[in-house]
This record gives sequence, C-alpha cells and structure tokens, in this order.
Amino acid sequence: MPAGYTRPELPPPWGEACPSPDRRRIMALMADTPQPPRVLIVDDDGAIRDGLVDVFARAGFSASAAADVASMERHLASKGADLIVLDLMMPGEDGLSACKRLSGKGRPPIIMLSALGDDADRIVGLEIGADDYLAKPCNPRELVARARAVLRRARDAEGATAPGENIRFAGFRLDIPRRELVDPDDVVIPLSAGEFRLLRAFVERPQRVLSREQLLDYAFDNDSDVFDRAVDVQVSRLRKKLERPGSIEIIRTVRGEGYLFAVKPMV
Amino acid sequence: MAATARSSRGLPIAAYLALLVVLALTSAFVAVMAIVLWLPPRPPDVMRADMVSEHFKLGYDHMRIHGRLIEDAGMSWHVQADAPRQVHLPQMHPTQHMLAGRLDLQPDQVRIAAAQIQRNDVFVFRVRDAEEMARDARREVERLRREGRLEQRQVIVRPSGEDGEIETRVGHVIDEHGFEIRVPQPLPEPDAAPAPRRSGGVRVAAPAPPAPPTPPVARVPVFAPAPPGVILISGFEIGAQLPDGRWLVMRQGRNWAELSWIGRATLVIGGTLLVLSLLAMWFARRLTRPIRNFSEAVQAVGVDPQSEPVREEGPRELRGAARAVNTMQARLRALIADRTKTLAAVAHDMRTPLMRLRLTAENAASEQREKMAKEIEEVEALVASFIAFARDDPAEEARVRLDLSALLQSTADDHAEAGRNVSFAGEDRVVITGQSLGLKRLFSNLVDNALKYGASARIKLRREENAVIVDVEDDGPGIPADQRESVFEPFVRLNAEGTRGAGLGLAAARSIARAHGGDIVILDAEHGALLRVTLPG
Repeated sequence: MPAGYTRPELPPPWGEACPSPDRRRIMALMADTPQPPRVLIVDDDGAIRDGLVDVFARAGFSASAAADVASMERHLASKGADLIVLDLMMPGEDGLSACKRLSGKGRPPIIMLSALGDDADRIVGLEIGADDYLAKPCNPRELVARARAVLRRARDAEGATAPGENIRFAGFRLDIPRRELVDPDDVVIPLSAGEFRLLRAFVERPQRVLSREQLLDYAFDNDSDVFDRAVDVQVSRLRKKLERPGSIEIIRTVRGEGYLFAVKPMV
Repeated sequence: MAATARSSRGLPIAAYLALLVVLALTSAFVAVMAIVLWLPPRPPDVMRADMVSEHFKLGYDHMRIHGRLIEDAGMSWHVQADAPRQVHLPQMHPTQHMLAGRLDLQPDQVRIAAAQIQRNDVFVFRVRDAEEMARDARREVERLRREGRLEQRQVIVRPSGEDGEIETRVGHVIDEHGFEIRVPQPLPEPDAAPAPRRSGGVRVAAPAPPAPPTPPVARVPVFAPAPPGVILISGFEIGAQLPDGRWLVMRQGRNWAELSWIGRATLVIGGTLLVLSLLAMWFARRLTRPIRNFSEAVQAVGVDPQSEPVREEGPRELRGAARAVNTMQARLRALIADRTKTLAAVAHDMRTPLMRLRLTAENAASEQREKMAKEIEEVEALVASFIAFARDDPAEEARVRLDLSALLQSTADDHAEAGRNVSFAGEDRVVITGQSLGLKRLFSNLVDNALKYGASARIKLRREENAVIVDVEDDGPGIPADQRESVFEPFVRLNAEGTRGAGLGLAAARSIARAHGGDIVILDAEHGALLRVTLPG
C-alpha cells in the first residue's frame, strides 16, 4: 500500500454501495433462506482472501475463508457451505483436482476463480464440474452476481443442468462448458453470451411458460440495462439459429404471457 | 539394454535388399534351368546338304510342272535372269554333281553356295532307342506287305552290328538305322524317298537321323555322330537353270521352327519376370509400409506432441529413427509442460497482485474506483495478450465443422450487448471446418483492433468459389500502405502514442488464419481500415 493511503471507511452492508435492484434481490433471497447464504472462499493469497470475504460480507453473505484445500475440507466437514469460491492454483492440492474430487457427492456449487483466463482454461474448469469460472482479476461485483446466479440455479434444482454436461434436444446438443450449440448435422453454431444464457434458461425449464421478467431474471445478470424488448430480440435470434426446415418450432410464443420451450431436453 | 535387444530384432534395410537380390537371382536361375530342362534345344540352323538338295529338287520339279514357285515356309524361292554367283567349294562338288544328275542338268547349270560348311563329325545326333526303331521297322514291313511289295516271307530284324540281339520274325531292316535289309527285291524308287542311294561315292542319307554303330536295347536315348559323308551347310543358296534359261534360286530362309521355341522361352522368362516383379512389389510394400507409417506418425507428432509415440517397427534403421523421434517427442512434451507451467506461474504471479489491487479498489471512493478498475483492466488485457501469444498453439484445438456466420453474428452480438457499435452482415449458415475457439479469437482480435482505432466495426461475410471472405472495417484513421505488412509482426503498434495493447492481436490473428490455411491482408478502403480474412471454404 502506498504511503499516505488511508483505508476509507467501509460502507455499511446495505448502504449506497449496493444498488437498489441488488438489494431487492438479496432481500428476496434472504426471505427464501432463513440464514444468509454461506460462502467459503478458498485462496492461498491472504489479501485476496480478506478482500473477497469483505466483498461477500458487504453483499449480505456469511463469508468465511480457507487457505488451502485441506482446511477447506475441514471447514466443509464442520460448518458446511452453500457456495465455494475456489482458487485454481494453490500450493498443495490445486483447485481442479479438489473440484474433481468433490463433484458427484452432494457438494455445494463451486465458482472457480483462476489466474488462467483463456477460453480453453475456462472450458476445462467447467468440464471438470465447476458451476462457473472467473478469471482474476475480476470485478468483485461481477463475482457476487455470479455467485447469486449459481445459488439461484442450485436452488431451482428441479431442471437445473449440471455444469460440464451436454444437453440434447430435438437433434441439437448444447455444450455447456464450451457455450456452443451443435446442430443435427454436427455443425457447431457459436452462440453469443446472451443467447447461451437464454437457451440454458430455456432448457433448464422446459415445457413451461416463462415470462419475459423470469427470462430476464434467469438469463441476464443484474447489471441490467436490459429490457423486455431485449429478451424478444434474443429470442428471435435464438429461434433463427434453431430453425431447421421441416422441424417443429422449439421456442413458442405464448401471447401475452411469454415464451415456452416446447421440447423435452435430455442429458 | 532391453531396448537395444528389442530393437535389434529388425533387419537392416541392406539385409532386405540382399534378400531381394538373392530372390531375384534364384528365380532367374530357376527360369534358366526351366528353359534348359523343359524346353528342347532349338533346331540347328545347319542342314544336311543332301536333304537340302532333295528339297530343292521338289521345288524345281514343282516349278517345271506348274510354272510357279512352290509355296514353302522354310525356304525363300525366286526366279532370276542372271546366274547366281559361283563359289568354288570343293566339299560341295559331290552334292552339286548329284543334284545336277537328279535334275537332268549339267553340273554347271547348278550352283551351290554356302556361308558355312561343317564336317559331319562335328555333330552328334540324337537317335531313338532300338525298340522304337524296331517298331518303326515292323510298321514299314506291314505297309510294304499290304502294298504287295513284300513277299510273305520271314524277314529278320536285327541290328547290323550285333547279330541276334533283336530278332523279329517279320521285319523290315533299314540300313540307315543300323539294320540290314533282307528284302528279296529292291524297293521301288519313287516310294523310297528316304531310301539310301549311293552316287559319286557320297552316301545320301534318308531324313531319319543316323544310327549308332550298336544301338542298345534299353529305352535310353542314343547319340551318334552324323553318318559318314554327310555335309552340313548353313546360309546356303542353291540355284539351277530352268529350261527357259532363267535361274531358280532357293535361299535358306528364316528358321521358323525357332518361333515356337522363342515363344515358349519368352513365356518362361516372362512368367518368371512377372512372378519376380509381383514379389518385388510385395517386398517393396512390405519394406515401405513401416516407412509410410513412420512418416505419418512423425507428422502426427509434429502436429500434436501429445499424440501416440511412433511404433518401433520395420527395418533396424527405421526403428532407430522411431526411437529418436520418440525421445524427441518426450523432450518436446516436457518442454511444453514446462512452458505451460511457466505460463501458469507467470499468469498467477501477475494476476494475483492485480486481483489484490482490484479488491483494494473496491474500498476506494466511487470515481477513483472506476479509474483504478480501468487501469487494472488495461494491465490485465496486456497480460492476457502476452500469455495468449506465448501459449499460442494453433494445432492444439480440434477442428470441427462450424457455422462461421453464427460465429461472426455472436461476436458482433457480444460487443453490441456490451454497448459497442459492431455490426454483422452476410449470408446465413456458412459452414467451414476450423477451430471454434481459435476463430473466435481471430475475429474478436480484429474487432478489438478496429474498436481501438475507430468507434465502430462492421463485419461482412461472403462466400466465394473455394473460400469464404470476411471483411472487418472500421471508421478509424486507416493503416498507411507502407505499414500494412509490419502491423502483423508481434509487438508492432501503429502509433505508440495513445494506443493500448501489446501489439499482439493482429499477429495472433494472422497466425490463426494461416493455421487454417487462410490469411489476413489489409486492403485499401475509402476511410478507415479494411482487413480481409480469407479462409478455405
């Protein structure tokens, strides 16, 4: 820290630093779960650990920290956690192998926070079973937003897709780690980030009418200048990519209500 | 040393070649032996002068009676006005005289020339065995008897040299076979073409081969010298004056009897060569298969160091080379692992402090925070481009068929979602084969570059005959013509002042395009820069 730098006073957890829509969501989340969600931050760097605990605490989580995989497991065994933010490169056992080992048994969702930021690294992380993957340095608020999204998805466990898997529907395959659609002719159809999130929201909630608000909520992060209109635009783009001559309409419009993903996806 | 023992199982290439040579020589030897053993020797070019004279008489008579040349495959006949050349050959005089007598001509009306004259004792004739001869004799006697020329009398058949060896109650003893003829009256002239005649001290033999002095009883071939007095000639020409004063000439023609012999010999040699060449082909394939496999395996290693090691098989030299390549591959793998580890360490060591800074910035006042975040992002972008460039390995990612149109559309949409002015235009569904992450990086580098210098980027896609063409245009200041090559070099930036980035984006983009068999060029544009990516369609 440079000399003369004074640490500003921390804003209160519900102060101006939290934009109001954020606050609404957290209140809703808090209303659903009697206790604030418990997040466990695993990182070998003390400053990052402390900083992230601060950030999460300010955002309304109950945050604790572990310096390596061994202490993470001790913490999980004694206190448990709703979400793990896991560093990839740590002395001792690294995050990838810990994630691989943890997946399968009813483990809490994992967000990987890694110094390796390439698409290829991200895909490896997601394929191994991380629920989300963020590269350092990231915007801490984005990390919190992703954490909420992951928790929300875990809570809506009903149709939730496991990370690292492929979902098939109507001859298509949605490759979740790669964020790609593979069409019936085995041609890869790249999706934009928005299209991917929307399609994932649809396949996780098939054969159910979803309102534009719901879709906004599921598919768009809360830094939303996104309006209902944007959902329509994304849906029409997605429809174009899913359109095949002679096939049924996969995403249907339900007038006045929203949209419906009309086919049953299979894992 | 186990590896050495294992590898020494392969034979050296020289051994394979030697084996092939031995095989070739062996089959050539077998072929020659087959010709020698299986095919009888070709008939000689030399002919018996007496037989040739007889043949000439036939042709001469034919000419006189029918007035045209006899059709004869063996000899060539013609009529000429001038006399053929007269060659003085003392050995041929008896034949000449005899022929003249047979033709009722003066000796000087007959000309005989020969390129070569052989004495009879040079040649040994193969004759049939005694039993066969006796059978022939009996048949002849039967014939004579049927024709009433032979009285119903006992005829003794026995070899002339050894009385009592072979005796048959009825027989025809032919003296040129070494048997005595004991027939009461002499045989009539016209029937006895092969009958012996004595004239001028030269004994004219019948076409049958000469007989041995004492033919053995056993059924084995007998060999004997030519009958005494027989003259053998080759390359001859016999002429005789016709009644009209012209000359009839007979010349020794091609020995057509050779043809079938040549045919058979060709068949044997050809067959051997065919077998040999098939063998050689099989051998060559056997020898080159490991070499081909080797080259494929080495290529695979070149493209992907993580691929299977090269199998150590084939000739010894190849096994050695395969082992060397495998060692190299292992080193390469270790090197790549090292590089990956180093890059990971660099990434960790650079990004961990950045993350700390970013977290510290959260505690700063709002406007300061934004500024710091922006600076941190910039440093992070630099770090990311360094690492991406250093680990750049276009071969690593698998190639898939992908919709380039969707890829470009999603790139534009991602930017548009983030509030940047990026548009895409082009036909739907342009499927090419390529690396999806690699191509995404290529085009996002180009778009990032365009946005760095201008406020907006336009992506246009069109398909041509064998290629797809993607133009990325911006509305920036453009790229001067003299820098259009150098901007693709790593760490080269158009103007160092005021621009961000390490100058690696275009270099990486071009290397990805080239790894796909395409390229990137910068074209003239009315305003801004126009980068054209060509990819094989």
